[in-house]
Amino acid sequence: MTPEQSQQLKQWLSDIALKRDKKAFANIFKSFAPKIKGFGMKQLKSESAANDLLQDTMSIVWRKSHLYDADKGAATTWIYTIMRNLSFDMLRKAQTQKEDSLSDDIWPIAEVVDDSGEVFSDHLMSQQIAQYLDSLPEAQKQVVQGVYFQEMTQEQLATQLEIPLGTVKSRLRLALNKLKQQIEENS
Amino acid sequence: MSIKYHPKHELLSAFVAGELPASLSIAVSAHNELCDECRKKCEALAESQAIEFMKEDSFNEFELDDFESINDEFDEMFAAITTEPSRPEPLAKPCVNIDYKGQSLKLPRALTSVTMSNWQKLGKLRRAKLELAEGKVHSNLLEIEAGGTVPTHTHKGYELTLLLAGSFSDEHDTYHAGDFIWLNQHNTHTPVTAEGCLCFTVADDAQTFTQGISKLLNPIGRFIY
Repeated sequence: MTPEQSQQLKQWLSDIALKRDKKAFANIFKSFAPKIKGFGMKQLKSESAANDLLQDTMSIVWRKSHLYDADKGAATTWIYTIMRNLSFDMLRKAQTQKEDSLSDDIWPIAEVVDDSGEVFSDHLMSQQIAQYLDSLPEAQKQVVQGVYFQEMTQEQLATQLEIPLGTVKSRLRLALNKLKQQIEENS
Repeated sequence: MSIKYHPKHELLSAFVAGELPASLSIAVSAHNELCDECRKKCEALAESQAIEFMKEDSFNEFELDDFESINDEFDEMFAAITTEPSRPEPLAKPCVNIDYKGQSLKLPRALTSVTMSNWQKLGKLRRAKLELAEGKVHSNLLEIEAGGTVPTHTHKGYELTLLLAGSFSDEHDTYHAGDFIWLNQHNTHTPVTAEGCLCFTVADDAQTFTQGISKLLNPIGRFIY
């Protein structure tokens, strides 16, 4: 891969992160799909498993491109490690019938580790929160997810959603008030 | 205290490629959490493996007349991914803490989602089994209290010990947190610990106790590995 190609790849990832740019994603999809499928056929020995690997890998690239940090390495490496993780879990599931998905703990991929652990450590609690979230209007939900689940700054979110920063702030305020109300009512 | 014992290059490379069993992957990952040097090596390995991956001639597995249907398949997948409604991403789980010498000790991140058995105690030894379901490869967390020892033994397969806290010594050296100690059937050792220690161990077969009375202690072997 030439430096120009790898620069191009970074640009596409950033376009996906900031603008949900489908064209940029299509370009990445086209360059990686055959490679990932080939890798999946070799590792997982079945075409349907290879397709699952491809779909899951590309789905993460689409959803989590904002987590890619260009300073930490090449974009190819980022995508390769996502695929490696998924393939590891799939292979483990096939061999041991275990669905414990260990890969993201073994190879943390530019994920934001929540080390405080207090508020969300309880599985039931986070399920509950997910339910509350679902009750929010889509626009407010998006903002809460962006800021609290994907750890984007309000500025990044404004650019991504193509709305003014003030709108992000007011939606967030409305959403948090509503969530607070719900939590109080239910506790 | 700097780390003296590291995984070999081949092991790091297999780790990065995702080719090791979960038990050994966890061990290397936990070592890397304590060792900048190996973590950087692994980053470089991932970089070069990714380059190799992009060079692979990926369509040699397919027949050429499949080409069209593959394209249709890709189109469908592309549409499915980009129209999927957004949903909250699960947060990374916090690390697990255990009680060690009366204090809370954070376990390596790689162990976060692993199911562990309850702790069982035998003399100065205490262990929890990792339920990884990897056949004859067994993984444990093993705590040896101050002054404790494991009888002289050798191994049929390999035994990997990653020291997580404290220190221990054997005939060869004294080991500290982060040391990654790989032994095979040619190595015999008698670990002792003055201050106590916590280890993560992986063994691919029961070890054999080689000395006099400790032959009788073979149940300990089954207990700790």
